[in-house]
Amino acid sequence: MFFTCLSSQVMKQELMMKRHNNNIEEQVAKTMMLLDEIQPIKVDHHFRVRLMQRIEREFGQRSEYSRAGLRNRFDFRLAFMALLIMVNLGYALLSVQHNNLGKTSGISEMIDNLSDDYPSQEFAYYDQTSAYPAETVTTESKTP
Amino acid sequence: MTSKEESFRALVAAHQEMVINTCYRFVFNREDAEDLAQDVFIEVFRSLEQFREEAKLSTWIYRIAVTKSLDHLRRQKRKKRFSSLKRIIGIDDPIAEIADSNGDNPAEALVGNEQAVILQDALNTLPDSQKTAFLLSKQEGFSNQEIADILKTSVSAVESLVHRAKKNLHDKLYAYYAMQ
Repeated sequence: MFFTCLSSQVMKQELMMKRHNNNIEEQVAKTMMLLDEIQPIKVDHHFRVRLMQRIEREFGQRSEYSRAGLRNRFDFRLAFMALLIMVNLGYALLSVQHNNLGKTSGISEMIDNLSDDYPSQEFAYYDQTSAYPAETVTTESKTP
Repeated sequence: MTSKEESFRALVAAHQEMVINTCYRFVFNREDAEDLAQDVFIEVFRSLEQFREEAKLSTWIYRIAVTKSLDHLRRQKRKKRFSSLKRIIGIDDPIAEIADSNGDNPAEALVGNEQAVILQDALNTLPDSQKTAFLLSKQEGFSNQEIADILKTSVSAVESLVHRAKKNLHDKLYAYYAMQ
């Protein structure tokens, strides 16, 4: 009696388990069936219009940006080159002026030196001796 | 209109339906699928000159569609993880709430079907190659050879991927429902 009761209990449990498993399998199958049931969607007729607008916006803008960028870069380069040329010219002008000033000051210094040198004693002596060459010769000849 | 634009328009017309539906299979949401398809065609427009005809043009386009869709799913996953982390910390994420209520979730896309959420969650746990092979095999218009070309693999590898994906998906769903 006990065994028959136990076996019926076990059988009941097994049946319940089987039913539960079947339930799960059914749910799994239903869920997986969803993929087969998905209907293909129709393309919205604005899709291509929006796409072309986006392409126009993105690629049109990009090419404009790149063109503007090129122009800006070009302008910048040109301005930089002009600045460099101006700086170089300015520097060249300044250095030429500086050299000229140096030269004139050098000449005037030389003249000054010369004028300083002329009235010196030695020159005066030489001048004097040269003024009287005969005397000098005689004195020179007198000396042994 | 330039000849490039003209030929591009023709290309879009020929492939738009397939591209949108491929993306839709992955994301379960019409709006996202259309946005992704736009990204796909933008990418095609950008790199059309670099296309070297090693594969068919259509295969190349569908490969871009698959890559974009997988990227989108990865981004979504990251966003989900981040918002759940925020929730744990105690910061409300209004963006996530708006996204949820705007039909970003597949249950709303496939109306009245909360099984879709469960299915997508289970699909997202699969490796990319299995997921792609399985989802493309479910879509009309793709032969195993085409799927193999898109995945740059052999037909037998595709069959194996689809088989494994089915089994993994079944096991994951079974485990989910058994826990309920």
